[in-house]
Amino acid sequence: MVKDSQSYWSSKLMALREQNSGNNPDYETWKGRTLDPWNRNASSAGMESVNSSGIISKEVYTSGDIPQNTEKELLGMPGEFPFTRGVYPDMYRGRRWTMRMFSGFGTPEDTNRRLKYLIKHGESGLSIAFDMPTLYGFDCDNTRADGEIGKCGVNVSSLKDMEVIFKGIDLSQVSTSMTINAPAAILTAMYIAVGKKKNIPIADLAGTVQADILKEYIAQKEWIYPPEAHLRLIRDMMVYCTENMPKWNYISISGYHIREAGSSAVQELAFTLADGFHYVEMGQEAGLDVDDFSPRLSFFFNSSINFFEEIAKMRAARRIWATVLKEKYGARKTRSLLLRFHTQTSGYTLTWQQPLNNIIRTTIEGLAAVLGGTQSLHTNSYDEAWALPSEDAVKIALRTQQIIAEETGIPDVVDPLGGSYYLEWLTNRMEEEAYRYFEEIEKVGGILEAVKVGYLQKEIAATSYRRQIRLEEGKEIMVGVNKHVEEGEQPISILRISKKAQKQQLDRLKEVKGDRDEKKVLEALKDLEGAMMKENENTMPYILRAVEAYATLEEISNIGRKVFGPWKEPVIV
Amino acid sequence: MKVLKIEEIVRGILDGDRRAVSRGISVIENDYDSTVARRIIKEIFPSTGRAHIVGITGPPGIGKSTMIGNLSAMLSKKGFRVSVVAVDASSPFSGGSLLGNRIRMQESLSKYGVYMRSLANRGMNGGLSRSVWDAVKILDASGSDYIIVETVGAGQADLDIVNLAETVIVVLGPGLGDEIQAIKAGIMEIGHVFVINKMDRQGAFIAMKDIEETLAMSPSGEWKPPVVGVNSLTGEGYETFIEKIQEHGNFVKNHSGSILRKFRTELQMTIIQELRRKFESDISLFLGDNAVIERLIREKVDPYSAAEKLVKKIT
Amino acid sequence: MFKDKPIKILLAKPGIDGHDRGILVLAKAFRDAGMEVIYVGLLPTPEEVVDTAINEDVDVVALSLLNGAHMTVFKKVADLMKEKGVKDIAVVGGGTIPDADKPKLEKLGISGNYGPGTPIAEIIKHITERAAEIRKLKATGE
Repeated sequence: MVKDSQSYWSSKLMALREQNSGNNPDYETWKGRTLDPWNRNASSAGMESVNSSGIISKEVYTSGDIPQNTEKELLGMPGEFPFTRGVYPDMYRGRRWTMRMFSGFGTPEDTNRRLKYLIKHGESGLSIAFDMPTLYGFDCDNTRADGEIGKCGVNVSSLKDMEVIFKGIDLSQVSTSMTINAPAAILTAMYIAVGKKKNIPIADLAGTVQADILKEYIAQKEWIYPPEAHLRLIRDMMVYCTENMPKWNYISISGYHIREAGSSAVQELAFTLADGFHYVEMGQEAGLDVDDFSPRLSFFFNSSINFFEEIAKMRAARRIWATVLKEKYGARKTRSLLLRFHTQTSGYTLTWQQPLNNIIRTTIEGLAAVLGGTQSLHTNSYDEAWALPSEDAVKIALRTQQIIAEETGIPDVVDPLGGSYYLEWLTNRMEEEAYRYFEEIEKVGGILEAVKVGYLQKEIAATSYRRQIRLEEGKEIMVGVNKHVEEGEQPISILRISKKAQKQQLDRLKEVKGDRDEKKVLEALKDLEGAMMKENENTMPYILRAVEAYATLEEISNIGRKVFGPWKEPVIV
Repeated sequence: MKVLKIEEIVRGILDGDRRAVSRGISVIENDYDSTVARRIIKEIFPSTGRAHIVGITGPPGIGKSTMIGNLSAMLSKKGFRVSVVAVDASSPFSGGSLLGNRIRMQESLSKYGVYMRSLANRGMNGGLSRSVWDAVKILDASGSDYIIVETVGAGQADLDIVNLAETVIVVLGPGLGDEIQAIKAGIMEIGHVFVINKMDRQGAFIAMKDIEETLAMSPSGEWKPPVVGVNSLTGEGYETFIEKIQEHGNFVKNHSGSILRKFRTELQMTIIQELRRKFESDISLFLGDNAVIERLIREKVDPYSAAEKLVKKIT
Repeated sequence: MFKDKPIKILLAKPGIDGHDRGILVLAKAFRDAGMEVIYVGLLPTPEEVVDTAINEDVDVVALSLLNGAHMTVFKKVADLMKEKGVKDIAVVGGGTIPDADKPKLEKLGISGNYGPGTPIAEIIKHITERAAEIRKLKATGE
């Protein structure tokens, strides 16, 4: 175990810098002999080749660009430290990645129907998206929620809604991923309560909640309380689930949103892992053994359009995680060192213009995720730049990954790109740049301080603005947007959420409030308040009790609002 | 309400109407030299002089905006009408600016109806732009009890604040180390109340002692600047903070020196501005005449003699 | 008066929507185009947006939402402006706004309504035009 983080990061960074610097004599000779004369005769200036992370690539790579210990030490064999080639020995030969299509819209009934549709078409894991009011802990009857019900996902105001979402679905046979952060503990409690009603033992419930609150402050900005308060609630959930729910992954540490907020690939990599390290420290501080809880941490990455950069990012992520968990946090068991991750293809790279092109983009990005060794995958639908996906569009997206899995032969071999001079060089460079950020974040005062002063947010905003300028200047291309533009495009038909969804949710909430035992609700909420006030009391059982009494999402969130107060964002621009 | 006319603006300001106040400030901000702007100031001037003007300065990132949010919320709760003017720097390149201070005080603004106006400091050699003076007058005449002026936290504008505000608050934080040393040189002289923000952080106590020591060594008049520690998260220390502001306000009322100095400074500024206005076209005409300039160079006329000659000619 | 001075613009996301990538890019781009930009952060209510617009006496309010709630929330802002009799502040919109909604928003006086991928120059041009109309209106008031 390492105590002095600053010097740990500095020494790692120095070693990597050393490893990755130095000239490749083979390249230099070739350049003088063949490339330079060729360029002198060429009429065009050649392309500028810089990726989102600012890493500039050469024309070609050879064995001289990668260290001698690449095969034995930097890569290792699949399923062996440092897991660069994959977390499992047989990867997709044993089991394909889980095809997990993020879904959820409108009313719980709509979502229930969509989930059953996906199960019927061969989806192997459920993934629920919630609407904005739910994500911010507001009930559907809050005036602020007007017009937002069911728009970006399904609306959940009380346990009753969750009961409807999972109606007729056997929770012992599926694993459910819920994209929920600030109110993660409440939704987890609701899931447990639904399971209880179906007589499924809590230990048999399988799935994931995102609960990665740090990236909310960094990127997605769906928070309710100040960071310390949310972290404490997540800690409570971590402890509770470690003890009671062996199949529940309680944090999905997410780079996806960091990337969508405009970061580069390396920022996504570095900020996500830095968040992950913080959760490890938090678990250790709560008295948990790192080997008991780190196997439950999983990750969630973006797969964007720069093919090799994405693959390198995912490989570097595995290596960094395994190395740091072992060296810095003293993990001993193999399972603790595995960075397992879900991937979603990039939403940002999708265009409104010529939307069918998005199918191609998603195919390339999905392929990168598979070559990067993802454990599960969501492929975006071509209409998602416009709205939530329609049923037909979702089906094509699902079919896209089915084709990669069943027809291409790509899953037959583990890490088929391993040993590619370019990819290995790029993986090493991404790794180095990530450590540069770890050191920088430490200098700012650690990840929590960096979040509170807006350091990471500013870094992302700067990257995103730079990219926008490059687009405007035509230095970066989006087909159909700033090149190969077509005039007079016809809009495609998109999914619209009907106004009825709001009405239906309001009616149900009213019914819930009318039917419940008010005294039980008030008592549960009062006890929850007491638990929240005591730093060392685990809030999870109290939240579960409140949920089961049909206290609403907002009522429960309001207790926290009262105890912890609101969050004021730092000034970013 | 339709588009505002000047009489409506003046009447509205005196009645405390927000749209009129806002528009009045826009007029002076966009064209403080114009006859319209002057007319507004001339007409409202008799109603000014009631508000306590509090300037807040300190290094960037020290939490000034959050502090102003808290301060204005607490003053409002005590029944005072509070207005806030936040001065941000304009970009020297594009002339544009990003006025982001509102984020940190939004809650107090909407909850307590605090009026806040952001002003971009449109390139006044780094000093406080003239329009800030006039904006404060408008807010004063509109019935504000307290007008809090936040400056950019760097450079001349922070020194200028002492000429505008009755009470200048210098905000510092713990852990600034060398920065404090550097800042102290410039702004120790201008502060009437010193505040150490973020008292929860280590080093705050040491920072307080450090400043008290520096103040003890520096020559001061009758008013001995107090050093207050506050925690903007918990609200701790704010009651004392407000008391000190009010104490200093009373001190100023009983000591005409500062009032005289303030009026004299503004008058001086205005006279120079008036002179510049009067002679600007002559000077530009002179400077723009290539033949004249070339002749001066050819004949090796020194700048002093040339300037003296010009001034004699136009006065 | 008001003619050659920088355009003052308020950027706001008045709904429950944390997608701030676009609005932060625009804030910087507008500043670099010489505007005075006020950004109030996330989750302001429509009331707060309108109050801020009045207190700051901006020329243009630019609203952005990517959560599909524009028809409800943008309308609330427009209604509040009308209620308070504010005619000399222009309102423009942007976000994931389907073509079918654009004429309805225009009717409310909310113009532009640009989606992702719109060149920033086009947005700036539109804002400059709207601001010029507003400035003219403000100037005739004197």
